[in-house]
Amino acid sequence: MSEQQPIPRPPAPSGGPREGRPSGPGGGPRRGKRQYFRKKKVCRFCVEKVDFIDYKKVEMLQPFVQERGKILPRRMTGTCSKHQRWLGLAVKRARNIALLPFATEL
Amino acid sequence: MAERLYDLIFICMPTTPEEEIAKIVSTLEQTASEHGGKVEKVEKWGTRRMAYRVAKQREGFYVYLALHSTQGSLIKELERRLKVTDAVIKYMTVRLDEEIKRQQKLVAHREHRARRRPRKPAAAPAAAPPPGPTAEQQAAG
Repeated sequence: MSEQQPIPRPPAPSGGPREGRPSGPGGGPRRGKRQYFRKKKVCRFCVEKVDFIDYKKVEMLQPFVQERGKILPRRMTGTCSKHQRWLGLAVKRARNIALLPFATEL
Repeated sequence: MAERLYDLIFICMPTTPEEEIAKIVSTLEQTASEHGGKVEKVEKWGTRRMAYRVAKQREGFYVYLALHSTQGSLIKELERRLKVTDAVIKYMTVRLDEEIKRQQKLVAHREHRARRRPRKPAAAPAAAPPPGPTAEQQAAG
Protein backbone atom coordinates (compact mmCIF):
# COMPACT_ATOMS: atom_id res chain seq x y z
CA MET A 1 0.00 0.00 0.00
CA SER A 2 2.85 2.35 0.80
CA GLU A 3 4.33 1.80 -2.63
CA GLN A 4 1.04 2.83 -4.07
CA GLN A 5 1.11 6.26 -2.49
CA PRO A 6 3.53 8.10 -4.83
CA ILE A 7 1.21 7.60 -7.78
CA PRO A 8 -0.79 10.81 -7.58
CA ARG A 9 -3.72 9.94 -9.79
CA PRO A 10 -4.47 6.60 -11.34
CA PRO A 11 -5.95 7.05 -14.80
CA ALA A 12 -9.72 6.96 -14.74
CA PRO A 13 -11.13 3.90 -16.46
CA SER A 14 -14.12 3.94 -18.73
CA GLY A 15 -16.28 5.45 -16.00
CA GLY A 16 -16.79 8.72 -17.78
CA PRO A 17 -15.10 11.92 -18.83
CA ARG A 18 -12.82 13.29 -16.16
CA GLU A 19 -13.01 16.84 -15.13
CA GLY A 20 -10.82 18.88 -12.90
CA ARG A 21 -13.68 19.81 -10.66
CA PRO A 22 -17.04 18.28 -9.93
CA SER A 23 -19.65 19.98 -12.02
CA GLY A 24 -22.43 21.74 -10.23
CA PRO A 25 -26.02 20.64 -10.71
CA GLY A 26 -27.24 21.70 -14.08
CA GLY A 27 -24.61 24.31 -14.66
CA GLY A 28 -26.41 26.24 -17.38
CA PRO A 29 -24.65 28.78 -19.58
CA ARG A 30 -25.39 31.63 -17.20
CA ARG A 31 -21.77 32.65 -16.94
CA GLY A 32 -20.04 34.08 -19.97
CA LYS A 33 -16.66 32.79 -18.89
CA ARG A 34 -17.64 29.21 -19.64
CA GLN A 35 -14.82 27.55 -21.51
CA TYR A 36 -16.34 24.33 -22.71
CA PHE A 37 -19.72 22.74 -22.64
CA ARG A 38 -20.05 20.00 -20.10
CA LYS A 39 -22.49 17.25 -20.83
CA LYS A 40 -24.77 16.49 -17.95
CA LYS A 41 -24.16 12.98 -16.73
CA VAL A 42 -27.13 10.75 -16.16
CA CYS A 43 -27.33 7.86 -13.74
CA ARG A 44 -26.92 4.76 -15.83
CA PHE A 45 -28.98 2.65 -13.46
CA CYS A 46 -31.87 5.11 -13.55
CA VAL A 47 -31.88 5.06 -17.34
CA GLU A 48 -31.99 1.27 -17.38
CA LYS A 49 -34.43 1.25 -14.45
CA VAL A 50 -32.41 -1.05 -12.28
CA ASP A 51 -34.05 -1.71 -8.93
CA PHE A 52 -31.53 -4.13 -7.57
CA ILE A 53 -27.83 -4.11 -8.32
CA ASP A 54 -26.74 -7.72 -8.32
CA TYR A 55 -23.36 -8.31 -6.76
CA LYS A 56 -22.98 -11.48 -8.82
CA LYS A 57 -22.88 -9.64 -12.14
CA VAL A 58 -19.29 -8.54 -12.13
CA GLU A 59 -19.38 -7.13 -15.63
CA MET A 60 -22.11 -4.75 -14.47
CA LEU A 61 -20.04 -3.49 -11.54
CA GLN A 62 -16.71 -3.30 -13.31
CA PRO A 63 -17.23 0.09 -15.03
CA PHE A 64 -17.76 1.68 -11.62
CA VAL A 65 -14.55 0.39 -10.13
CA GLN A 66 -11.03 1.58 -10.80
CA GLU A 67 -8.40 -0.82 -11.98
CA ARG A 68 -6.96 -0.94 -8.51
CA GLY A 69 -10.33 -1.84 -7.08
CA LYS A 70 -11.53 1.50 -5.79
CA ILE A 71 -15.17 2.43 -6.15
CA LEU A 72 -15.44 5.41 -8.47
CA PRO A 73 -17.05 8.51 -6.96
CA ARG A 74 -20.39 9.73 -8.17
CA ARG A 75 -18.93 12.88 -9.63
CA MET A 76 -17.11 10.79 -12.21
CA THR A 77 -19.76 8.27 -13.08
CA GLY A 78 -22.85 10.42 -12.67
CA THR A 79 -24.66 7.77 -10.66
CA CYS A 80 -27.52 9.06 -8.52
CA SER A 81 -27.12 8.85 -4.77
CA LYS A 82 -29.62 6.03 -4.36
CA HIS A 83 -27.93 3.83 -6.92
CA GLN A 84 -24.48 4.74 -5.70
CA ARG A 85 -25.47 3.43 -2.28
CA TRP A 86 -26.68 0.16 -3.73
CA LEU A 87 -23.66 -0.02 -5.96
CA GLY A 88 -21.32 0.36 -3.00
CA LEU A 89 -23.09 -2.46 -1.24
CA ALA A 90 -22.91 -4.69 -4.30
CA VAL A 91 -19.21 -3.98 -4.83
CA LYS A 92 -18.46 -4.75 -1.20
CA ARG A 93 -20.31 -8.03 -1.42
CA ALA A 94 -18.53 -8.95 -4.62
CA ARG A 95 -15.21 -8.20 -2.95
CA ASN A 96 -16.05 -10.51 -0.11
CA ILE A 97 -16.39 -13.50 -2.38
CA ALA A 98 -13.36 -12.63 -4.52
CA LEU A 99 -15.34 -11.52 -7.55
CA LEU A 100 -13.80 -8.06 -7.29
CA PRO A 101 -10.47 -7.10 -5.75
CA PHE A 102 -10.04 -5.15 -2.52
CA ALA A 103 -6.82 -3.90 -4.02
CA THR A 104 -4.99 -5.39 -6.94
CA GLU A 105 -1.57 -6.63 -5.98
CA LEU A 106 1.23 -6.02 -8.40
CA MET B 1 -41.26 -17.13 11.37
CA ALA B 2 -41.37 -15.55 8.04
CA GLU B 3 -39.57 -17.17 5.22
CA ARG B 4 -36.20 -15.76 4.38
CA LEU B 5 -34.24 -15.84 1.17
CA TYR B 6 -30.54 -16.30 1.05
CA ASP B 7 -27.77 -16.50 -1.47
CA LEU B 8 -25.00 -18.85 -0.58
CA ILE B 9 -21.81 -18.90 -2.60
CA PHE B 10 -18.88 -21.08 -1.84
CA ILE B 11 -15.55 -21.59 -3.54
CA CYS B 12 -13.83 -24.96 -3.71
CA MET B 13 -10.23 -25.75 -4.44
CA PRO B 14 -9.75 -25.85 -8.22
CA THR B 15 -8.41 -29.39 -7.91
CA THR B 16 -11.60 -30.75 -6.36
CA PRO B 17 -13.17 -33.51 -8.45
CA GLU B 18 -16.74 -33.00 -9.70
CA GLU B 19 -18.13 -35.86 -7.63
CA GLU B 20 -16.92 -34.30 -4.42
CA ILE B 21 -18.56 -30.98 -5.26
CA ALA B 22 -21.78 -32.82 -6.05
CA LYS B 23 -21.47 -34.55 -2.70
CA ILE B 24 -21.00 -31.26 -0.84
CA VAL B 25 -24.03 -29.79 -2.59
CA SER B 26 -26.19 -32.80 -1.78
CA THR B 27 -25.23 -32.71 1.90
CA LEU B 28 -26.07 -29.01 2.00
CA GLU B 29 -29.43 -29.72 0.41
CA GLN B 30 -30.06 -32.41 2.96
CA THR B 31 -29.23 -30.20 5.94
CA ALA B 32 -31.41 -27.48 4.46
CA SER B 33 -34.41 -29.79 4.31
CA GLU B 34 -33.71 -31.04 7.83
CA HIS B 35 -33.81 -27.51 9.21
CA GLY B 36 -37.00 -26.48 7.52
CA GLY B 37 -35.39 -24.83 4.52
CA LYS B 38 -35.13 -25.57 0.85
CA VAL B 39 -32.48 -25.14 -1.80
CA GLU B 40 -34.19 -23.42 -4.70
CA LYS B 41 -31.41 -23.27 -7.21
CA VAL B 42 -27.93 -24.64 -7.65
CA GLU B 43 -25.56 -23.10 -10.15
CA LYS B 44 -22.06 -24.29 -10.78
CA TRP B 45 -20.13 -21.40 -12.20
CA GLY B 46 -17.10 -23.58 -12.72
CA THR B 47 -13.48 -22.70 -12.25
CA ARG B 48 -12.86 -19.01 -12.51
CA ARG B 49 -10.16 -16.60 -11.58
CA MET B 50 -10.49 -15.01 -8.18
CA ALA B 51 -9.83 -11.32 -7.75
CA TYR B 52 -7.28 -12.02 -5.06
CA ARG B 53 -5.48 -15.02 -3.70
CA VAL B 54 -7.39 -17.25 -1.31
CA ALA B 55 -5.70 -20.19 0.40
CA LYS B 56 -2.73 -19.70 -1.93
CA GLN B 57 -4.97 -20.30 -4.93
CA ARG B 58 -5.56 -17.95 -7.82
CA GLU B 59 -8.52 -19.87 -9.17
CA GLY B 60 -11.49 -21.46 -7.54
CA PHE B 61 -14.55 -23.49 -8.36
CA TYR B 62 -17.60 -21.33 -7.64
CA VAL B 63 -20.91 -22.85 -6.60
CA TYR B 64 -23.97 -20.71 -6.08
CA LEU B 65 -27.07 -21.76 -4.13
CA ALA B 66 -30.31 -19.85 -3.65
CA LEU B 67 -32.22 -21.00 -0.63
CA HIS B 68 -35.32 -20.45 1.44
CA SER B 69 -35.15 -20.77 5.17
CA THR B 70 -37.57 -20.51 8.04
CA GLN B 71 -35.00 -20.93 10.79
CA GLY B 72 -31.93 -18.88 11.38
CA SER B 73 -30.16 -21.95 12.71
CA LEU B 74 -30.04 -23.40 9.21
CA ILE B 75 -27.52 -20.82 8.04
CA LYS B 76 -25.42 -21.43 11.11
CA GLU B 77 -25.38 -25.13 10.40
CA LEU B 78 -24.63 -24.70 6.70
CA GLU B 79 -21.75 -22.37 7.42
CA ARG B 80 -20.40 -24.74 10.04
CA ARG B 81 -20.44 -27.54 7.50
CA LEU B 82 -18.70 -25.44 4.88
CA LYS B 83 -16.07 -24.40 7.38
CA VAL B 84 -15.40 -28.03 8.25
CA THR B 85 -15.15 -29.17 4.63
CA ASP B 86 -11.56 -29.06 3.50
CA ALA B 87 -12.27 -28.54 -0.19
CA VAL B 88 -14.16 -25.32 0.49
CA ILE B 89 -11.83 -22.35 0.72
CA LYS B 90 -14.35 -19.51 0.96
CA TYR B 91 -18.05 -19.06 1.44
CA MET B 92 -20.51 -16.24 1.83
CA THR B 93 -24.18 -16.07 2.73
CA VAL B 94 -26.25 -13.01 1.92
CA ARG B 95 -29.78 -12.45 3.10
CA LEU B 96 -31.78 -11.03 0.25
CA ASP B 97 -35.49 -11.10 1.11
CA GLU B 98 -35.60 -7.53 2.39
CA GLU B 99 -33.90 -6.19 -0.69
CA ILE B 100 -36.21 -8.15 -2.95
CA LYS B 101 -39.15 -6.76 -1.04
CA ARG B 102 -37.84 -3.26 -1.56
CA GLN B 103 -37.30 -3.96 -5.23
CA GLN B 104 -40.85 -5.23 -5.66
CA LYS B 105 -42.14 -2.14 -3.94
CA LEU B 106 -40.21 0.08 -6.33
CA VAL B 107 -41.46 -1.84 -9.34
CA ALA B 108 -45.03 -1.60 -8.08
CA HIS B 109 -44.61 2.11 -7.49
CA ARG B 110 -43.27 2.68 -10.97
CA GLU B 111 -46.01 0.64 -12.58
CA HIS B 112 -48.56 2.59 -10.64
CA ARG B 113 -47.11 5.84 -11.89
CA ALA B 114 -46.84 4.55 -15.44
CA ARG B 115 -50.51 3.63 -15.37
CA ARG B 116 -51.45 7.08 -14.14
CA ARG B 117 -49.35 9.12 -16.49
CA PRO B 118 -50.97 8.35 -19.87
CA ARG B 119 -54.39 9.29 -18.56
CA LYS B 120 -53.65 13.00 -18.36
CA PRO B 121 -53.00 13.64 -22.07
CA ALA B 122 -55.84 11.29 -22.97
CA ALA B 123 -58.26 13.01 -20.64
CA ALA B 124 -57.64 16.51 -22.00
CA PRO B 125 -58.87 15.90 -25.58
CA ALA B 126 -61.79 13.87 -24.27
CA ALA B 127 -62.87 16.69 -22.01
CA ALA B 128 -62.39 19.38 -24.64
CA PRO B 129 -64.95 18.43 -27.33
CA PRO B 130 -68.18 18.39 -25.26
CA PRO B 131 -68.25 22.13 -24.48
CA GLY B 132 -67.93 22.96 -28.20
CA PRO B 133 -71.24 21.49 -29.44
CA THR B 134 -73.15 22.65 -26.38
CA ALA B 135 -71.89 26.16 -26.91
CA GLU B 136 -73.02 26.00 -30.52
CA GLN B 137 -76.40 24.64 -29.51
CA GLN B 138 -76.76 27.48 -27.05
CA ALA B 139 -75.80 29.96 -29.74
CA ALA B 140 -78.30 28.35 -32.16
CA GLY B 141 -81.02 28.29 -29.53
